[in-house]
Parts: sequence; structure tokens; C-alpha cells
Amino acid sequence: MSILTLRNISKRYGSLQALREVSFEVPRGSVFGILGPNGSGKTTLLGIVTDVLKADTGDFTLFDQLPTAAQRRQIGTLLETPNFYHYLSGYKNLQITAAVKQRDEKDIARVLEIAGLTARQHAAFKTYSLGMKQRLAIANTLLGDPDVLILDEPSNGLDPAGIAEVRGLIRQLAQSGKTIIMASHLLDEVEKVCTHVAVLQKGKLLTSGPVNTVMVREDFVELGSSDMNRLETVVRQHPLFGHLVIADGGLQVFFTGVIDPGELNSWLAGNGIWLNHLQVRRKSLESAFLEMTQN
Amino acid sequence: MLNIIRIEWLKVKNYRTFWVLLILAIGIIPASNMIVADIVGRIPKQATDLLGKNFYDFPVVWQTVAKVNSFTSVIFGLLLLTLVTNEFSYKTHRQQVIDGWERRDLVLSKLFWVITLSLIALVVSFITAFAFGEAYSSFSFSLEGSAFMIYYFLQVLASLSGALLLGMFVKRSGLATVIYLGYTMVFEKLLTLGLKRAFGSWGDLLPLQAGDKLIPFPVVDKVLPASADYSQGVYEITIIVYVVLFIGLTWRRMLKVDY
Repeated sequence: MSILTLRNISKRYGSLQALREVSFEVPRGSVFGILGPNGSGKTTLLGIVTDVLKADTGDFTLFDQLPTAAQRRQIGTLLETPNFYHYLSGYKNLQITAAVKQRDEKDIARVLEIAGLTARQHAAFKTYSLGMKQRLAIANTLLGDPDVLILDEPSNGLDPAGIAEVRGLIRQLAQSGKTIIMASHLLDEVEKVCTHVAVLQKGKLLTSGPVNTVMVREDFVELGSSDMNRLETVVRQHPLFGHLVIADGGLQVFFTGVIDPGELNSWLAGNGIWLNHLQVRRKSLESAFLEMTQN
Repeated sequence: MLNIIRIEWLKVKNYRTFWVLLILAIGIIPASNMIVADIVGRIPKQATDLLGKNFYDFPVVWQTVAKVNSFTSVIFGLLLLTLVTNEFSYKTHRQQVIDGWERRDLVLSKLFWVITLSLIALVVSFITAFAFGEAYSSFSFSLEGSAFMIYYFLQVLASLSGALLLGMFVKRSGLATVIYLGYTMVFEKLLTLGLKRAFGSWGDLLPLQAGDKLIPFPVVDKVLPASADYSQGVYEITIIVYVVLFIGLTWRRMLKVDY
């Protein structure tokens, strides 16, 4: 079953084409990252899914059905900024959400505990720090323990410890079988938790699917030697040599086939090169993403 | 609908501004009538005998209280504007749809306040008129003329529906308040003047002016009958049309527009 299916969604703001015929599917149980630079249409897309924005053309389904408010009550959503009544406490704000979502108020204590806000739950929202506001927004999404979460830049405004906590939380939620749809421009974040991605640029969907098939992230070998010039000349003669990049303090060598580091070391030694550094690495999502969005 | 009302209650229960404005809006009703009663109480007896009845005699009291209150009902409008524009400044109108309200629930939640505040205004006015009549009237209790209370209710309803539309369109509380005050206190009167000059009595069919026409100045209207160009029914229907129009436009906008 698919949690969310988008079909040819387009949206225009005046002269700006915010989304152009975007279609993809979010399978159940996936951690689905929506990637793209700022202004690529991520929040617009999630706004349409949550009915705060209206698409010009195209449609979508939630849980394989036409979207309704009842289905939104089954989804925990954090869109863009934490939206709460400034004059009410964190607890009272969540009471309102519980009433809107028609969930039991007993769950409020649990989600406040997860967000680390128990001690400040009765203080007015306006007295919260930016990080605490974001935590309350995360607590808000968890209310009623929904099976699907939509998180738009969930680590916005959090300090490094907070970011790590939120990531841990997302991973934990994913392991418990929840479907998480997450928009982010922090690739590091996506790389660490996502199973699927959709990449948006200027409102166009560049690609979507499982992370490893969507982003070609070939392995490369990082090599170092006391004589770098000679190393470069020799390694170019390797039968599987593809191309190389000269990086800080080493060569990043890409081969055209699968390479065994032991055999490579022995082959280089046979050619009179003694390595002082050898490491097999995988191209980061960031460089794969930059390559994709710059073409 | 009950759940919507419960949610609205949670929003205002601990909101001081709401209670201050509400108490002000309610309290000003007996307070302003007390001032007027004091002033008209000083009119020499010979003059009132000439006029027939005094302002707080039954049945004139219903009309007097309705007229006096029509000047202070703007506070209910400000209260409604605050409730509506708060949702936009906190972006909670967005969050509630995200969390599972229908867009129409958003309109219904504020429509609840339009009706509730109008009813509060009606009930407080009714009690005030009754109490002032009992206290000041030299004639016995009579419901004759109590239809003025209904006209007052219609006035408040029209003015609050207008505030609802304004709040939903303008969204920003400061700007909406200025426009509301400016319109109710000055601009509509200017418009009425202009329209009356250009098109005659059509100018009396603006939303607040039509309400004013339904409640002429008491006592004086018997001596100097205002030139009522249309019958009561025309003004009643006009106000109802405005209420339906304002709510209809709000409804249409909130169902279609991006939040």
C-alpha cells in the first residue's frame, strides 16, 4: 500500500512555477526524504498534501484514498514553523491539537517527555527558546502516536545535541515501522536516515526512488604515497582505471570495475609504489546531489 | 460542532485580552445607559410632558437602550477581529487544517463567535432595558416596542459578519482594526452622505446605516419624524442580505485560498 501518491501536481505563484507536474509515490514503512535546495518547492508540495495550499492541477491520494481531513488526523505534521498560541502554555496548546485530532489528552504527557519539555510544559509558549518551540512542534506531531509523520526541516533551530536527538528519534520511529516523509536541505540528515528520496529542483522532480538506486554513488579509493606524482602516473596505468580527482593530501581514484584493495596494494607495490594511505570510500550524498542538480 | 466549540473555548479560556474586551463590551451597555438616563433625567418635567413619554419609560425604553447600545457595539467587533486575526498571526489557522480540521471548520469556529457575541449583546441589552425600565419608568412593564432589541441584534450581527469578512481578508490585526474603526466611525457616514446626494435614499442601504434607520432616536422621532424613505421591512431585509453576503464571501474565500 502506498501512503502518499502524487500525480502531476503543478502549482504556480504569479510568475513563479513552484511545482511542475510532480509525481511520485511514498511506500509504507519508508523514510522518504524530499530533497532540494531552498526554494525548490519542498514546502509547497507538503502544503498541498496537508490542504493548506491548493494545487493548480494534478491530484494525490493518502492511504490510497482521496484525501480528507479524517486522513490528516492520522498523520503527524510539522510544516515550516511551529504554529502555536503564544499566550497559552505548551500543554494547553497540545490540548487544542488533541481536540482537533480527536485524540486522548492522556498522550500529551508522553510526547512532552519525548520532546524534553516536561519541566516547562506550563510556561507560556512565548517564553520558549527557538529550540523549545521546535521541540513542541515535534511533540505536536507525535501526539496520538500516528503511523505517518510529515516533517519539514525537523532540525530547524535546534542545537547540535538537539539535532542528534531528533535524528535518533526519527531513526527510532522508522524502526518501529512508521512511515516518515521528511523535507530537508541538509543532505547529511537525509543520508543518515532516509531509505527513499525524491529530488526537487526549481519545482521539477529530478528523480525519486530508493536512495541507492536514485543516486549513483560509485565507490572510490583514496590513495596516498610519499611520491604523489609517481603514484598518479602509475595508477593511471591500472587496467581498471577510470578517472581521478586530486584532493587534499591524497588521490581519489575511480575504477571502472570492482576493485579489491589488497590486490590494488599488491599491484602498486609490484610497480614500486609503497602506499602510506589506502581507504575505500563511497561518494557522499552531497556530491551526488550537487552533480545531479548542477546538470 | 460541539468539538469546534470546545476547541474555541480552550483558545479563550486563558486569554486575558478576550476577557478584558468581553467585560468591557458587556459592562459598557448598562454604564452608557446610566449616563444617558442621568442626562435625560435632568430634562425639565414640562418638556417631557410635552414630548409625551420619557426616554426610559416603558415602552420607549426598548428603543432608547437599543439606540444607545448601537454606539458601543463596536467593541464586540474589535473582540471578534482579535479572535480572527490571532489565528493568522500565530498561523494556527494553518496548523488546525494540517492537524485535521476541514477548512469549513475554520469558518464555522469563527461563525460561532459571530452568533455567540451577537446573542450576548442581545441578552445583556434585554436585561438592561428591563432593569432600567423597572427603575425609571413611570409606566408599567410592557413588551411593546421590544422589537427594537431584535433590530439591535441584527445590527450587531451585520457588524460582526463584516468584521469576520474583514479579518479573514486583511489577516493583520493592526490594519484590520484601523479599517474597522475608520469604516464604522467615519467612512460609512461619508459614503452615506455621498450616495444620498447622488442617488437619493439608496444611500441609506449601507450595512450600518440600514441598521441605524431601523432604530431612530427615541421620543424625538415622534416629534420630528425622520423621513423614512423605505419601510422597516426593506431595512430588515437589507441587513439580512448583508449578513448572508459577508458570511458567504468569507466562506468562499477560506475554502479556496492558500493559507
